[in-house]
Amino acid sequence: MPETDYIKVPQDRVGVIIGTNGKVKKAIEKETETRLEIDSNDGIVTIIPKENMEDPLGGWNANHIVKAIGRGFNPEKAIKLTDDDIYLEIIKLPLIIGKSKKALARHKGRIIGKDGKTREIIVDMAEVDMAIYGKTVSFIGKLENIMIAKEAVKMILNGSRHKTVYNFLEQKQNELKVKEFESVVGINNDEIEFKDDIELDIKK
Amino acid sequence: MASDEKWGIANVYSSFNNTIITVTDITGAETITQWSGGKVVRADRQESSPFAAMAAATRVAEDVKEKGFVGLHIKVRAPGGNGSRSPGPGAQATIRALARAGIKIGKIEDITPIPHDGTGRPGGKRGRRQ
Repeated sequence: MPETDYIKVPQDRVGVIIGTNGKVKKAIEKETETRLEIDSNDGIVTIIPKENMEDPLGGWNANHIVKAIGRGFNPEKAIKLTDDDIYLEIIKLPLIIGKSKKALARHKGRIIGKDGKTREIIVDMAEVDMAIYGKTVSFIGKLENIMIAKEAVKMILNGSRHKTVYNFLEQKQNELKVKEFESVVGINNDEIEFKDDIELDIKK
Repeated sequence: MASDEKWGIANVYSSFNNTIITVTDITGAETITQWSGGKVVRADRQESSPFAAMAAATRVAEDVKEKGFVGLHIKVRAPGGNGSRSPGPGAQATIRALARAGIKIGKIEDITPIPHDGTGRPGGKRGRRQ
């Protein structure tokens, strides 16, 4: 029994969701087995899941993709969210820095950096996609990478020097590399051990 | 939907430390079954993993089918409040596993509690210090 879902997106992102000749809209509809109805006057997107869809998470994924595009991501990056391991995380800046417009502009500037340098470093080192739009900072990526990027941005917002943040990112990057190496070599394999009377019988 | 089909609600609480699935009847007052990541795995740090959630969800599916339920509506919840507002890694896995076990999935809803300005964030004026 599919249910419709409504999301409001900013006026200037409505065009992006539709795309040239409806290209982006069609791609989302195809990937998630849903139908999108977009009201370009007030920016309300209605997500209608198809009857008898194979993947029950279609509507859920479509919801996140539309939300990501509304938060400033370009469609190619947002469509990655159909993958199970990829998550979307949105930080609302006013919750951390208050309502002042001046403070908002200053903090956004600090996150972006001179010529986008800081943003570039966060994106490169934490291996996430990042969008800074309006009053939000959003990430798309794997969960552990998002946690690192989020922590870095929170450090900047709390007034850390950029250099401190870069060092932090470098340290975390090394930790991830070591972890990856260990799992490849097999020193530290994370095999899931179930309790005695439990067997997992999932057909993949 | 035929009127003789029996539907329930699966309340999925998914944080970074655990995944708890509570199935109730359609009113939400009567608990049918309850499973969690911690009930299936041995190591504490694996409680929130997608695999633990999958294993728990398959148990849920068995219990629910035995009681004669055809489908479940899903209510996903993250910690909310001062904590994380986005569900942990177990939420998607749970829904997938339930669907694969042959349970009809109805409405999927996010019911994370969002404060209308609640208590202060932890950390204090000078932040968290070691």
